[in-house]
Order: sequence, then C-alpha cells, then structure tokens
Amino acid sequence: MVYIAIVFLPLLGAIVAGLFGRWVGDRGAQILTTSLIGVSAMLSVPVFIKIALGGGTAVVPLMHWISSGTFDVSWALKIDTLTAVMLIVVNWVSFMVHVYSIGYMHHDTSIARFQSYLSLFTFFMLMLVTSDNLVQLFFGWEGVGLASYLLIGFWYEKPSANAAAIKAFVVNRVGDFGFALGIFGVYYLFDSVQFDVIFAAGPEKADAVVTFFGTDWHALTIISLLLFVGAMGKSAQLGLHTWLPDAMEGPTPVSALIHAATMVTAGVFMVARMSPLFEYSETALTVVTIVGASTAIFAATVGCVQNDIKRIIAYSTCSQLGYMFFAIGVSAYEAAIFHLMTHAFFKALLFLGAGSVIHAMSDEQDIRRMGGIWRHIKWTYALMLVGSVALAGIPPFAGFYSKHMILEAAYASQGAAGTYAFWMGTLAAFLTAFYSTRLLVLTFHGKPRANEHVMAHVHESPMVMIGPLVVLAVGAVLAGLVAKGWFIGDFREAFWGDAIVVLAGHDTIEAAHHLPGWVGMLGTTVAVAGIGTGVLLYVFAPGVPGLLASLFGPIYRFFLNKWYFDELYGMLFVKPAFALGRGLWKSGDGAVIDGIGPDGVASASRDIARRLGRMQTGYLYHYAFAMLIGVASFVTWFIIRMG
Amino acid sequence: MEMPNLSLALPELLLVLGAMALLMLGAFRKDDATRTVSLLSVALLGFVALMVWGLGGERATTFGGMFVIDGFARFAKVLILAASALAITMSVGWLEREKLSRFEYPLLMLFATLGMMMMVSANDFIALYVGLELQSLSLYVLAAYQRDSVKATEAGLKYFVLGALASGMLLYGASLIYGFAGTTGFTQLSQVFHAAHGQPHAGVIIGVVFVLAGLAFKVGAVPFHMWTPDVYEGSPTPVTAFFSAAPKIAALALLTRVMLGPFGELFAQWQQIVILISIASMVLGAFAAINQTNIKRLMAYSSIGNVGYALIGVAAGSEEGVRGLLIYLAIYLFMTVGTFAVILSMRQKGRLLEGIDDLAGLSRSQPMMALALAIFMFSLAGIPPLAGFFGKFYIFLAAVNGGLFTLAVLGVLTSVVSAYYYLRIVKVMYFDDPVESFDRPVSRALGLIMAGSAAVVVLLTIVPAPLVAGAQEAAKSLFPTG
Amino acid sequence: MLQVGLAHYLTVAAILFTTGVFGIFLNRKNVIIILMSVELMLLAVNLNLVAFSSHLGDLVGQVFTMFVLTVAAAEAAIGLAIVVVFFRNKGTIAVEEISQMRG
Repeated sequence: MVYIAIVFLPLLGAIVAGLFGRWVGDRGAQILTTSLIGVSAMLSVPVFIKIALGGGTAVVPLMHWISSGTFDVSWALKIDTLTAVMLIVVNWVSFMVHVYSIGYMHHDTSIARFQSYLSLFTFFMLMLVTSDNLVQLFFGWEGVGLASYLLIGFWYEKPSANAAAIKAFVVNRVGDFGFALGIFGVYYLFDSVQFDVIFAAGPEKADAVVTFFGTDWHALTIISLLLFVGAMGKSAQLGLHTWLPDAMEGPTPVSALIHAATMVTAGVFMVARMSPLFEYSETALTVVTIVGASTAIFAATVGCVQNDIKRIIAYSTCSQLGYMFFAIGVSAYEAAIFHLMTHAFFKALLFLGAGSVIHAMSDEQDIRRMGGIWRHIKWTYALMLVGSVALAGIPPFAGFYSKHMILEAAYASQGAAGTYAFWMGTLAAFLTAFYSTRLLVLTFHGKPRANEHVMAHVHESPMVMIGPLVVLAVGAVLAGLVAKGWFIGDFREAFWGDAIVVLAGHDTIEAAHHLPGWVGMLGTTVAVAGIGTGVLLYVFAPGVPGLLASLFGPIYRFFLNKWYFDELYGMLFVKPAFALGRGLWKSGDGAVIDGIGPDGVASASRDIARRLGRMQTGYLYHYAFAMLIGVASFVTWFIIRMG
Repeated sequence: MEMPNLSLALPELLLVLGAMALLMLGAFRKDDATRTVSLLSVALLGFVALMVWGLGGERATTFGGMFVIDGFARFAKVLILAASALAITMSVGWLEREKLSRFEYPLLMLFATLGMMMMVSANDFIALYVGLELQSLSLYVLAAYQRDSVKATEAGLKYFVLGALASGMLLYGASLIYGFAGTTGFTQLSQVFHAAHGQPHAGVIIGVVFVLAGLAFKVGAVPFHMWTPDVYEGSPTPVTAFFSAAPKIAALALLTRVMLGPFGELFAQWQQIVILISIASMVLGAFAAINQTNIKRLMAYSSIGNVGYALIGVAAGSEEGVRGLLIYLAIYLFMTVGTFAVILSMRQKGRLLEGIDDLAGLSRSQPMMALALAIFMFSLAGIPPLAGFFGKFYIFLAAVNGGLFTLAVLGVLTSVVSAYYYLRIVKVMYFDDPVESFDRPVSRALGLIMAGSAAVVVLLTIVPAPLVAGAQEAAKSLFPTG
Repeated sequence: MLQVGLAHYLTVAAILFTTGVFGIFLNRKNVIIILMSVELMLLAVNLNLVAFSSHLGDLVGQVFTMFVLTVAAAEAAIGLAIVVVFFRNKGTIAVEEISQMRG
C-alpha cells in the first residue's frame, strides 16, 4: 500500500491541480501538489530503510494490462535497492523543487498548470523506476518525455521555448526508436518483457545469435546497443546531447528537476537495471565506456567557454552523465548510481541556486553581465559554493567520493577503453573544477558588470526558495560521506542484493580498492589544480582568459560553438527533420513538401489525396457506377478463379 | 405450432413497446414533448442495455431459428445501445437551439436502434432484411431531418438512392442463395455448405458477392463508400454523430456474423474479397482525408479507414480476429462520439462551425476541450499507449497470426499516413494563432460526454483487460465448435 | 412448344435487375425515374424468390416476397417524401443538381 501511495500520490496531485486548477486556485494547487509529493518523499524513507538496508525486493501487482498469447504485461511495482535509491532521489528532489517553485513562479500566470506538470512528471518518473517490465518502463519513459516536452515549452509565447521543446521531442524520438527496437529484441529473444524472466534467462542466452543480412550477430550485444541508444537520447550522451542545453529555455525549477537530477538520469538507471544483459556483452560495455568518457570530456570543454549560467550547468550535467555511463561501461554500476545520487543533490542545488541568482538579477542569465553580487545574496552565494565544491570533487563533499570511485574503477578495469576513460575523466575533472570556479568568480566576485538599475534590485530570494537549497546543500555535503559504505564500500553486497549483477572478473570496484596510491590522489590533485587555475585566471589575472581566447582562437571558437555539433546536425539531420517536424506541428502544409522535396512521400500523398478527392464528384450516378463496378469486378474475379 | 420463446427477445420487445408508448406520449401531449421523449428514450435505451447485459447464458435461437442471441450479439447490442443513448443525449440541445424540436427525432433513433438490434441477432435472411430496412429507413429520414437545408436533404436523397441500390443488391444475392442452397436460415445454410465441402454452386457464389456488396455499403467500405463523405457532411451534426457510431457497429457486427456464420464454410472463397475491400478502405481512408477542410468530412474518411482496419478482423476469420474487431469497435465508439461532442460544441455566435481551421488556438481559449479532442485524435491515430493503439494492436496481431502479413503491414503504413491528418488537428489547436473563440459555456450534456469519453479512452488505455476479456467471450460464441 | 422453366424466370429477373441498376446511373434527368428503377430491382428479386420457391416446393421464398413487397412500399413512401423536401429547397429534382457536396 505504501508503495502504491508513493507512486500515485503525485498523480493525484497532478490531476487535481491540472483539471480543477480553477477551483482550488493557485495557492491551493501549490499546497496540494507540494504536500502530496512531500508525503511521497517521507514515505520513501522507510521504504529505503526496509528494502535497501533491510535487504529484499517487493513486488506489488496492480492489474493486468495487455495479454495476447505469450505476450503478457501487467502493471506492477517492483521495488529493490536500485528503485529504493531512485525513490529517495526523485521524491526528495521533486519535493524540494515543488517548494522552490512556489517562490520562483509566483509572478507567473499559470501556476496551477505548472505545478500539475511537475507532479505529472514525478509520477511518470516514479512509474519508470518502479516498473517490473520493459513495457511499463517504456510507458514511464515516454511519460517523462511528454512532461519534459510540456515543461520546456511551458512559456509557449517564447518562440525559442517552442523550438527547444520541439528539438527535445525530435531528438528523443531517435533514442526512443532504438529503445523500442531493443524491447522488441528482448521480447524476440526471451519471449517476455518481465525483468525477472529476462534476468533469469540471461546466462543461458549469453551466446545466442541472431542472423540477418546473412551474418550471425551476438544477440545480447545488439539488444544492449539498441537499449543504449535509447539511454543516450534520454541522458543526452554525445551525439544525442544537443537538446539538453536548449532545454534550458524552460523555467529553472524544471531544469533542476528534469534536466539535472532525474529524467536525464533515467538512461543511467535503465542501463544499470539491465546490467544482467549488458554484463554479457563486452562490445556493448566498451561502447558505453567510450561514449560516456567522450561525452564527459566534450561537455566539460564546452562548459568552460559558455557564458549563460544555465547552459554552463547544463553542459556540466551532460559531462557528469558521461561519468556515470563510463562507470557502467567498466561494470562499476554501483559507482554510477552512487554518482547519480550525489549528482542529483549538488546539481539540483546548483540549478536552483542559479535560479536564485537569475531571480536576483532581474532575469539576467549571462555571467558576463554579473559579478560583485556575493555581498548582496550571501545565502545563495554560500549554497552555490557548496554545490560547486561538491561538483568539483573536493573532499569531503559528496561529489568527491562518487567521482573518485568512478575514476579508480576505470583505472582498475585495465582495458584500453577503461584507460581512455580514466584519462579523459581525469582531464574532465580538471576542467570541471575550472569551469565551476569560473562560474562562481564571474557571477559573484569582481566588479559589478550589470547596470545600476539591475544592481539596485539585487535581493536575496525568499525563504521558500532558500529553504530547499539548504536541504539540498546538506545532501551535497553529507550524501557521499554517509552513503559510501553502502553504495561502494564494505556493505555494498548486502546493500545491493540482486538489484545489480556483475560477472566475476568484472568487479572493478573491488579492484579499485587495491590501486597504487597516486591514482586516488590524482583526482583530488587535478580538482585543486583546476580551482587554482580558475582563481588565477579570473581573480588575479582577469586579462589572461581574453588573451588566451584570442591566442587559441580556433580552439576557443571550436569549444564556444560546442564543437559545431548543432551546425553539423543542422546540416545533416535537424534541418530536414525540423522541417518535417515543423511541417507537422508548426506551419502545416507547405513545409512538408519543401522539406522532403517535390518527389517526396508527402507530396505524393497529397497528390493521391487530390486524385481521390476528384473521384468524389458529388454525382449520384458516379457513386452508383462505382458500386456496380465493385460488384462486377468481384463477380468477374470469382468466375476467373473458378473457371 | 409451438409458441416462440419470447424471453430471449425481451429487450427488443421492451424497446418496441417503449418506443410505441413514447410515440403515443408525443402525439397526445399538447405542448412540445421533445425533451421529455428524448430523456425517456435515453432512459429506455439504458434500461434495455442493462437488460441485454444481464441476460447471460449460452447461444440460443427463437422464432423458428430466425433470431439468435449469443455473447457476440449481446456485446454488439450493448455498444449499439450505448452509442444511441449518447447520440440522443447530444442531440437535445442542438434540436432546441436550431428550433427543430420534434418528438419524432428521438423516436426515429429508437426505431433505428431496434433495427440494429435485430440485425445483430438475425439468423435468417428474412430477419436480416427486415432489421436492416427498419434501420435504413429510419436513417434516411434522419439524414434529411433538417428539411429546410439543401445540404441535409441532398444527403438524405443520396443516402436513400444508394442505400436502396445496396438493399437491392443484397436482396438479389439473398434470392440467389435461397434458390441454389434451398434455404434462408443461417444455421441450415452453414450445414448445406458444409455438406458441399466448401465447393458450392456458382449461383451461390454470385449470391455471396452480392450480399457482401450490400453489407459493404452499409458499413461504408470501399468501393461502396461513396455516400459516406456526402452524408456525413450534409446531415445535421448530431445525426452524423449517430451515423458514425451505432449503425457502423451494427453493420460490422452483421457482416461478421453473416460471413463467419452461414458463409463460414466458404471462407476460402470470400477471404480475398474482404482483404481487397479492407486494403482499399484503409488506403482511401488514409489518403483522401488529407485535403479535407471540413471536420465532418474528415471524420467520414476517417470512418472509412477505420472500417478497413475492422475488416482485417473479419478477413482473419478467427476467434482472435473477431475479438480484435470487437475491441476495436468498442474503443472506436468512444473516440468518435467524443470527437463529435467536440464538433457539436464548435459554435460561434450561435452558428455551428465545421471547419478544421476554426479550431485554431483552441488550446488557449478552451484548454479542456482541446485536451479532450487531442486525446481522441492521438487515440484515433493509434499512437501508443492510448486505447486506439490497443484496438489496432489486437487487430494486427490477429492478422499476423492468421498469416495476413500484407494486411498487417499495409495497416501499419496507412495508419502512419492517417496520423498526419489527425495530428494536424492537434497542431491547429495547439500551435496556430487563435481565431475568435467559441461560444461559452459548452452545454452540460456535451461537456459531460466529452469528458466521459476522454475518461473512457484513458481508462481503456490503462485497464484494457476487462474489455479484452469481454470481447474474448463474445468472439468465442461465434465459433461454437472451436 | 416453349417449355417455360426456372432458367427463363431467372433470365427475365436478371434482365429486370440489370435494367433497374442501369436506370439508376444512366438516367440523369429525374429522380423519380431512380425510384422506379429501385422498384424494378425489387420486382426482379421478387420474381427470383417466387420462381425459386415454386421450383423448390418451399414456401419460404414466397413469404420472403411478402416482406420485400411490404418494405418496398414503405421505402417508396420515404423516398418520395425525401424527394419532395429536396424539391422544396432546390426547386428541381434533376439528378445532376444533387451535387452540392463533393471532394
């Protein structure tokens, strides 16, 4: 019952706030949705204690859904340690964001709608993490996508917000297509989409092959890679990452909840959930490692040169997700989930802090037009500092434990991919510390660069916004220290139970505990070095960054333009796809024909439609004639067949 | 001569008596009795539906084997009664606004419903013909109900002429079958064809083709579909709403019973024709709707396409196929009734609008209505996980299991094409600049039907199991041996 | 001496039916002619039924004919009524004028 309450209370809130927003009023909607999420958050604590700390798995069947022949899917909640961790993360961050939004959105005109969407998102996210089969997971997966789409485009009067929403939608379709194919593959191979059945049958299918195009392919590799494509879309990994920075068009609480703490980590969660399959495919794991590590370094370099405060944090998210994925790639699932959890706290903190800054600066987002405001908003400053230090990985803050575990595991895995990941991760750690420092210094220190009008209005945010930040800051400080024993330390086997499967010989976390001392030191060293460089460049020699930028102009521009990914995609896919998307969604008819070309499918369809329309002449005798032709041709067909 | 077992036909008898009584009530009341008669009609239909639902039991026949009652008939009848009740409910407000209040209107719907109930229970060509004509004659009148409108009378006239032609074909086919097989009873026909090892006289085959053509006209399948767009557009909107649900369900149920019952042994002969009709309907329904600007006409083409999908279930010729068909019809009923409730609310300064462009910006002026219509459109487009997807899913599943891969693939392809025009409506509502908003408030009956249908569609999305189980039971009754 | 058998009845009925069908879509002048054509088709059916009934020695066909006749009367009445309301609106019953809706 508790489990059902946890998952469905947010839905209840969403429905009431969404449908009856007019009756309950803005204040009513806020109180209702927030308190329902609050109850869910409270309830998930005893669940965590019971399931994760007490050991065991709970399955709550809800009802039958689809059944046809061997294809049988039920609605059911499955709660194991992995889910319990996610419940804590999702519910608490969502709770904090709900509270924060009360303050942040108080000028907005559709508060009830906003709260309703937030709760709806939370419901789908909970559905995703508690599902006991792939189809239900996909349901939640599409649901969070839908909610994200609604929230990115929440300010639909802004064309950029609409465009970003559509971009997120289109890019995610690519990932979802892979994911859907992966699910078909799983069903094809295992005759089931039930996790228990799949995982139990995993070992015996380890060597199964599928044949197409005349070649044998390792079945689990194909499936794992397809599923990973889905994860890449949702978690904004290199190649499918382009929607995430644009998604910052949404309100800041949305960025914190969806695009930092929860939805984007759904890919990581899904792959960790599917660990019993991924473990049997070396190829898939290698691909995951390389993609993850490349994303980590790519996003970190881009993050160093961005000027929009939210975009910096967005690229940072992208980069940290890369860490989680290469941790998975080297079979350190526990470390990945550990980082997922710590990251949720400090990244939500950073986003909400950034929201507080934006709030204070009269909606300014460009850090070049900030500076010198730390005295005015001390709370926000202190909290952002905590978040940044945690992100940079300075002990004893949360990020330190998880990030170092990931780096050590990568080193311990010893493969070529693992080594690549280790060095890229270390470099990215340096850059992370650097851009975090840059963000802090440019935003809060130095001389004010905003105009006097803005500076005069700089004010600390109300308690309803600072309160959630404090809670998240406590998480960002303590989560690593407190939880490391369970997640990656001595108690991890009892803690995780069956939730994660690691084959013998893949246990990099164990191996990471026996590494030469310098490996452990390296991460901290580069972090400190990164901070040092940042302070040096932006506090003591503020002229140098500009000098460097002009000196290494091409590289700077390369990073500034996000490695030209958007331009590349614009040329290759997004433009045609966007044209198609706009054709369907925005400008209707003409764009489709232009987008696909005069001989395209769409224009052919319209041509057929015109011809068919012409056949509908309106004359009775033509209609009667068509009927007669029909009968006559059928009779003729029979006579020929029988004769 | 023994007395027929009237208890099996109790719901029909009750409906007849009730309709007669209401006719008397309308005729002898001095003041306008439309509202009273309508409400009583809805209550009567509801009561009859409950009765049909409650009458369980095995397959049984009465009236000398002419009338059959089984799970299949019960399922279809409940759907038909629900559709009729919803249609009458939707009409009341419209009748009063357009100053067309006449108590005959609900009564015509009642008599049409009675005809439909007889159709799905028919077990003999004579019973089939009488039921079908009772339905059709009422529908012709309803189509031309708005008698001072050129469009409505034209719709009525077209429907009447083509319908009479179709009835003629059906009858001619029935006469040939009677002559060459020696009986009009479905049960006996099945035995005769069984004895002939599925190789009957050529005259019978030609008869089957004519009967199939007549029935295909009633369901509105290509190439006997030409009346559909014109009649949908011309008829008064509440009548179109009625046309799009109840008679479709009745005619499809009838077609299924006839093809799989008496002609079941001839499956190999007619399967190809049904496949052809189904493909043609899906393709035409998908493409011809693209250029439409009138939403009623668009729904007409949509109904043609949907009949194509439903016919896949018949072409599969299996219990699974019939199950898919019934699930599809049940879901379709709510999608289409809900959509028409929205169309009936498209009123500006008292005038009813029908253009798709008139929906522009609806998401801002009436968000709940836009949301409801979006749900129906997404569901009609078959986008997972909405209920409409399940309808298609079970149909395609039956096709694949029956080896009809071409049909399944074409079905998926045409549903992609048709998604274009369904989603275009969503796009118009959500992304186009608002035009003048519709009159408010939406009448309570329409609002309730809209919200209720949307709720049912969503509910069936989440909990399709009871519907699937019910359809399974109903489908089983059509295959007594298997 | 011509022996009139089943085949002859069927042929006549088929010709009548075909005439009726053709009457519906070849005639472009007058809707009343369409109504007559419909009647013709139904008569063809009746002829068929009665001929078969007598040939098979089975009464069902003639019973069927009775039903068809009754329903045909009702059908004609309704058809004429619709034609009348259409004429009132449009002032003509030329088949070509019944084409406002198309596409």
